[in-house]
Amino acid sequence: MAGRWGRGPFLPCALGVVAVGIVAAGAAESGAVTGRIVVAEGQVRFAGEPPAGAEIDMSADAYCRDRHDETLMDRPVRVGADGGLADVLVRIVNAPAASASSPAPEAEALLDQEDCLYTPRAVAVRAGQPLVIRNSDATLHNVRVVPDSNPGFNLGQPIQGIQSTRSFETPEIGIQVRCDIHGWMTASIHVLEHEFFDVTGEDGAFTLPTLPPGDYEIEAWHPTLGTVSERVSVAAGETPSLTLEFSSG
Amino acid sequence: MIARNDRLSGFRARLTGAGLVVLVSASALLSTPGSLEGAQAAQEAPDGMALYEAGCASCHGSDGRGAAADRIAFDDPLPDLTDCSFASREPDADWIIVSKAGGPVRGFSDVMPAFAEAFDDDQLQAIMDHIRTFCTDRAWPRGELNLPRPLFTEKAYPEDEWVWTASANAEGPGAIVNELLYEKRFGSRNQVEIALPFGFAEDSSTPASSDGGPASDWGVGLGDIEIGYKRALLHNLRTIFSFGTEVKLPTGDSERGIGSAEFQIEPFLALGQILPGDAFVHLQAGGGLLARGHRESHGTAEHDEDVREAFFHAVLGRTFTSGEFGRSWSPMVEVLASTHLADGAQPQWDLVPQMQVTLNTRQHVMLNVGVRVPLTDADVRSTQFLVYFLWDWFDGGLFDGW
Repeated sequence: MAGRWGRGPFLPCALGVVAVGIVAAGAAESGAVTGRIVVAEGQVRFAGEPPAGAEIDMSADAYCRDRHDETLMDRPVRVGADGGLADVLVRIVNAPAASASSPAPEAEALLDQEDCLYTPRAVAVRAGQPLVIRNSDATLHNVRVVPDSNPGFNLGQPIQGIQSTRSFETPEIGIQVRCDIHGWMTASIHVLEHEFFDVTGEDGAFTLPTLPPGDYEIEAWHPTLGTVSERVSVAAGETPSLTLEFSSG
Repeated sequence: MIARNDRLSGFRARLTGAGLVVLVSASALLSTPGSLEGAQAAQEAPDGMALYEAGCASCHGSDGRGAAADRIAFDDPLPDLTDCSFASREPDADWIIVSKAGGPVRGFSDVMPAFAEAFDDDQLQAIMDHIRTFCTDRAWPRGELNLPRPLFTEKAYPEDEWVWTASANAEGPGAIVNELLYEKRFGSRNQVEIALPFGFAEDSSTPASSDGGPASDWGVGLGDIEIGYKRALLHNLRTIFSFGTEVKLPTGDSERGIGSAEFQIEPFLALGQILPGDAFVHLQAGGGLLARGHRESHGTAEHDEDVREAFFHAVLGRTFTSGEFGRSWSPMVEVLASTHLADGAQPQWDLVPQMQVTLNTRQHVMLNVGVRVPLTDADVRSTQFLVYFLWDWFDGGLFDGW
């Protein structure tokens, strides 16, 4: 139940600087840009103890506490075992203009609350695409969504299995989501005008839809590390791959 | 409120005793079903308690006093639902609106979530019934009885508010009279108030100007300061019945037409009654006793000692809401009658159509606009335009909740 957040110490670092990269994943389906976010071992430097994150105190809610065998760590930067960085939005900044006029998919995206954690911690949707917000827990959660460009809302979800559907009409990156009852529960919602985006999981991998030939700027956004971007040229018949690297410090 | 009538109209009329009879008879409505006691028993339905525990107790506490700061993840202060002074003031409908749509729908914190997709109306009412059990002192009148405030008639419900009222004559000698009223509740049933009238009145006796044109000499000054007390005697979920008295101090200037400059005591009875369909009635009846019997009435001096008079006010209104959660509009028709209690005195009647509207999201700032039309002696009494601006200060700052 605690696997997504991990329990151990933060990734060992040497000089107090986190350096994270998105590294090409190599072969992929024809015409797709693929990659994965990794921690470049040679580029991660920390001085002193690595940031282990703070312990999450779930004692105020017995349900949450009982869902976890060990104390969880609140880690704003989640790095997988293979060095991948999770919760990163990867998107094409200068996507083809025609892509913005394509209809939003009818398929629902999902933001779940499970074992008193958001799953996933970052979710991306097209403008107008339905987003289902579900409480899979048998305890009260509230879902306070605080956008800058879209209407905000705050849902009380006291019933296990309850779900609400919302959509956002204006593209916006990094909409904050939080539960005011369980302060460790935070997430991000990203709303994009086109389809050229992905959100990384714990392996840091991302896959973008097929791009027409051209020069593109690819940006990676993380809620605490900020953004990095790279330019890439896509030629007909090629599958570009790239690495995007974060550093903080 | 007879003193307010004087300040705003400059006339004192006569009344039969019928108003008092009607008012006392109407108080019999207090014995109708739906009493606070009966409702309280139903409020302890176990489903309401269970729903409260599931949806509310995490923040508001199982006992209604609010969760400890280390049990929640926000800093906004939580209300004490056991504090009757807080918990009794607003009607169920307002609490349920906030529960359904979240705090911002009434200008409160966005930390309060919306439960419309979690609970239906019956469940929210059951939760509300459970919340009502936290205040155990039934002496506090419920917020349902806080009906829209008319321009002249004193409400039976005790209030915490500032009201600025202005009036102007449509014809005849000019008069723009303002009144700043402060009302403060204390205890469960009581209210004190102080009214500070001030304004401008045109002196019709001013001689013509040297160029032969009409003269215009406006008096400016303080009116008769008024101090009042009111106590809710009886109330249930639909009816409230109160007694009050007002003392008017001779601080005005009758020669300038601002106040009567007389010491006057005015006891009254007031009743508020909720009717079906968001309609309501106010009734008020009372009398006035002048300690010094010198007064001006329609330009004629009277010199009878210990002048006694009586008045009766009746208001019928209904509240409409824009959309599900929007602005409240309350059209009202107010009938005013007053008379000197002397042989041969004839009552004077006025009709006051008006509209009150809430101005802000929290609905604690309101405006009422109306016109007072004399039904008797219309040839000597002017039609008046009136407006008040009301701030229910207990519900928040003047600039909060917009």
